[in-house]
Amino acid sequence: MKPRLNVIWNENYCKRCILCVEVCPESVLSLERDEIVEKPGCIRCYQCERYCPDVAIEVMDG
Amino acid sequence: MIDRSYKELLKLGRFPHTWCPGCGIGAVLKNVAMAMKELGWNNQNTSVVSGIGCSGRMAGYMNLDAVHTPHGRALTAAEAIKTVRPDLNVVVLSGDGDLGAIGGNHLLHTSRRNPDITVFCNDNEIYGLTGGQAGPTTPKGTKTVTSPRGEHYQPLRLNRILTTQAPYFYARTTVYHLNHFKTCIREALLWKGFSFVDIISDCIELNGRRLGFKTAHQMFKWFEERFHIAEGVRDHLKDDELGIAKKEVEAEVKVEVEVEQIPEVQIEGLKLFALEELKQFDGTEGRPIYIGYKGKVYDISASPLFQGEKRMRCHIAGKDLTRDIEIAPHGEELLFKFPVVGRLKE
Repeated sequence: MKPRLNVIWNENYCKRCILCVEVCPESVLSLERDEIVEKPGCIRCYQCERYCPDVAIEVMDG
Repeated sequence: MIDRSYKELLKLGRFPHTWCPGCGIGAVLKNVAMAMKELGWNNQNTSVVSGIGCSGRMAGYMNLDAVHTPHGRALTAAEAIKTVRPDLNVVVLSGDGDLGAIGGNHLLHTSRRNPDITVFCNDNEIYGLTGGQAGPTTPKGTKTVTSPRGEHYQPLRLNRILTTQAPYFYARTTVYHLNHFKTCIREALLWKGFSFVDIISDCIELNGRRLGFKTAHQMFKWFEERFHIAEGVRDHLKDDELGIAKKEVEAEVKVEVEVEQIPEVQIEGLKLFALEELKQFDGTEGRPIYIGYKGKVYDISASPLFQGEKRMRCHIAGKDLTRDIEIAPHGEELLFKFPVVGRLKE
């Protein structure tokens, strides 16, 4: 289990539609080897959480 | 900071749900659950009804009383629940194929009867569950499985159908315009009466890929090109507008009818008629036409309606017509225009 920075990603719920990757304004999320990977630089805009249709992503609060 | 208490309304044990990756139904489910939680709707006061189709699974993923109805009959079941239990909030979660095609008749007549139910129509412009055939809301020219050279016919315009007769509530939104989407859901849930939210959603696997989109987000961008948000509350929405069209029932203007004073007629000293005498005055042989009414005798020779055959429709001249007023379509004020010529003997 990799350490998470700001985004909690639920591997079981996720269907890899990569909507979160594409809505991210800072492009900190990416799909690598079938996993959503987060790079540093999250501005906590919650867009990925709001758009995720599978309730698979949560942004850690403050 | 997002309030995540809406997850209580979802059956998370059954997740991940059955829909394709990137499907808009998940977003509809999530946002409806969020709005319900905000309004305090829970499993004690809410029931959800869904029809058939991909979107028919939505009710099964909600932690509420749910009914999964036959194809197209979601609205009938919802109206039945609302009729029997008016205290329940009834929400219909269904799709455009279920509500617009096979359930089109029920949509027309349920909206006419205006029960207090809220309908969320997941409008993905295709028959998604059966493999991507052209549905009732497929735009003209769209390539589908059943229309490889482009759909021939004009789509069903739900905005026109549902906004013909007040009161109505029709909102169109997309899963991409998220704030607008949430506003529409909230207003629809709060609306007293039949409210319909047409949620333009994406079916990426069976519609989007054929149209040349690779991911759900590219389809979202396409929605942004096709639609724009109309500000304010409208009476009607155009085909490329997102917004809320609502109208409450017009208050009926009450016309006050001024009651005319019945003219006081001095009947003392007038001639006294017996019923046998009255019979002679039936208009024949140049005699005037007299009728009796409530003890008075009126001369109605001037009436253009009393002509020939001693009668006017069903009234016979030369008779006491006091009882006839009960079955007449008019009131007694018609009679007061004519002069009183005598009294009727009891």
